[in-house]
Amino acid sequence: MKKLLLVALLFFGSQEVFSAGGAPCGDYGECDSFKPELNNMESLQLGALTYINHCYGCHSLKFSRWGRVAKDLDIPESIFNENLVFGQNVKLGDRMTGSMRPAVSETWFGIAPPDLTLVTRLHGSDWVYTYLRTFYEDSSKPYGVNNMVYPGAAMPNVLASMQGQQILSCKDVPVIASNGGVRRDEMGNDITEEKCGYLKTIEGSGALSVQEFDEVIFNLVNFMTYVGEPSRSDRERMGWYVILFFVVFTALAYLLFREYQKDYH
Amino acid sequence: MTQKSSGFFNWINARLPIVNTYERHLSKHPVPKKVNFWYMFGALASIVLIIQIVSGIWLMFGYENTEEGAFASIEYIMRDIEYGWIIRYMHTTGASMFFAVVYLHMFRGLLYGSYHKPRELVWVFGMTIYLVMMAEGFLGYVLPYGQMSYWGAQVIISLFGAIPYIGESLEIWVRGDYYISGATISRFFALHVVALPLILIALVFMHLVALHEVGAGNPEGVDIEKHLDEDGVPLDSVPFFPYKVLNALVAIGIFGIVFSIIMFFFPEGGGYMLELANFEEANPLSTPEHIAPVWYYSPYYAMLRAVPDKLGGLVVMGAAIAILFVVPWLDRSKAASIRYKGILSKIAMTIFIISWLMLAWLGTVPVTALRTTLSIIGTVIYFAFFLLMPIYTSIEKTKPVPERL
Repeated sequence: MKKLLLVALLFFGSQEVFSAGGAPCGDYGECDSFKPELNNMESLQLGALTYINHCYGCHSLKFSRWGRVAKDLDIPESIFNENLVFGQNVKLGDRMTGSMRPAVSETWFGIAPPDLTLVTRLHGSDWVYTYLRTFYEDSSKPYGVNNMVYPGAAMPNVLASMQGQQILSCKDVPVIASNGGVRRDEMGNDITEEKCGYLKTIEGSGALSVQEFDEVIFNLVNFMTYVGEPSRSDRERMGWYVILFFVVFTALAYLLFREYQKDYH
Repeated sequence: MTQKSSGFFNWINARLPIVNTYERHLSKHPVPKKVNFWYMFGALASIVLIIQIVSGIWLMFGYENTEEGAFASIEYIMRDIEYGWIIRYMHTTGASMFFAVVYLHMFRGLLYGSYHKPRELVWVFGMTIYLVMMAEGFLGYVLPYGQMSYWGAQVIISLFGAIPYIGESLEIWVRGDYYISGATISRFFALHVVALPLILIALVFMHLVALHEVGAGNPEGVDIEKHLDEDGVPLDSVPFFPYKVLNALVAIGIFGIVFSIIMFFFPEGGGYMLELANFEEANPLSTPEHIAPVWYYSPYYAMLRAVPDKLGGLVVMGAAIAILFVVPWLDRSKAASIRYKGILSKIAMTIFIISWLMLAWLGTVPVTALRTTLSIIGTVIYFAFFLLMPIYTSIEKTKPVPERL
């Protein structure tokens, strides 16, 4: 039995069985990991601000309501109304349906910008976090930029003024031998080769440093993760109590069961 | 209630057999005194059935069965209805858990020969329940009308089209339209919330009535009816209440822990329970890169894909389910339980488990040449396990089954 399992494991472990379909983040390979902080109100508020200022013009959040966002993010209504609500005659109970008519946007972009309420659930927050940071300059594209995660994306890099110019560059990387180790010459130095396709930000070309920009994107994606499932932090909080209830329930049921079992053992 | 001296209960019982039924099927119903955890999944399945019915009714309060409104109404339930997300996740987690406990329940049947004489009908009713559940699960999956709902339905309904002569008309008849539309959603809704649940409840009732007529089995495969006390009650049995109820309560508690861990912390089940592509509204103009069923259909989906011909695949998949119905007549062994069966049965069972799990995995991943070969091997093993059963169970040497439990 154990042998059989081992054989099965080896069999399924083989590369050919597993490798199908591309990497999760396209040309970028594995996505950068993103751990949401749904109880970090400051991050969520800053993310909401970035979203409303830079994304909401094209991308609606049509399943979400203004008032719910204000309440969940601890933003007082007056401040929220003055600084965040986009558009006139919008009530707090309204859905965030966006400000661009699909017909107009379709003429501009060739495709209507999708609603993003559920985008972090569809692709995963990791994917969105990586996508937003991997635009690079590519003069062959209509907006002058392309994206590593989603090549050919029909979207300009709206945050370019913050991020600055990002380009694809080449760098020397160690040559990997067939056994998986780094190849070395007779002197013991690593052998390197030039490889291309690495992202590089031109320093000083944007308003923010790479680190600051990553933080802006972190807050933005944190907010988008929240919008994808506003009840998530409630869910994870309540879950512990429900599990605790069942643990106590099981313990009591077991003690009672053991007591009664004595009758017939 | 066991005291019949109460005037009220006497009055009722003379007109409606509540007390008698309660005693016969619940409180005094004799069950084997020694069973193991494998015997808990039937009780758990009935708990999940109740969860599904109750959460389903609550979901209907907010769900809209139209092409335009279906997807948005799910998000309405998730966001705008107080605790709607609990109801929804309860239902989606419940669907997966229903199949999980039913698969374990069915496997228990195979392992301990629960279908052996005189429990053939219990098994057949159980298999019918499984079949209806598969249809119920499919119909329910279409209702949120996400991308995977749409394209999954497209794949499954198009299978009807493979049937010669009547296929094409049948396909349109099932869909209610030339393509999947609002007409499909509203009929699937009616079937999912009324028709199939009614059938399911009736079948569960029959399953239990048949079970109580012949009595529950045990892991030893001992016939406890052979040794009775002076009242005609099996010596190796205990009354259902309170002994088996307490037993079930422990199982329910553990199940509750597992259920809530999934529901509160992993409601998507890594994309196997709620497929991520279903977070995008159905779009007839864009086919997803990879169409996969939820995990509980995947072994049969792998078999469907293993056959290059559509009709052939449909026949193989149908036969894979159909063959389960006749298992009671394929097993010729003198011993019911795997514990007393011979080495051939044990080997066959082990290979069967491995190949079933392999098929389950293959059904969820994109096709490659090697995987297709593996699917074919898995399918052949699946059928060999059942078709060769009459041979290997009759030629092998079984161990003597004890008299008492």
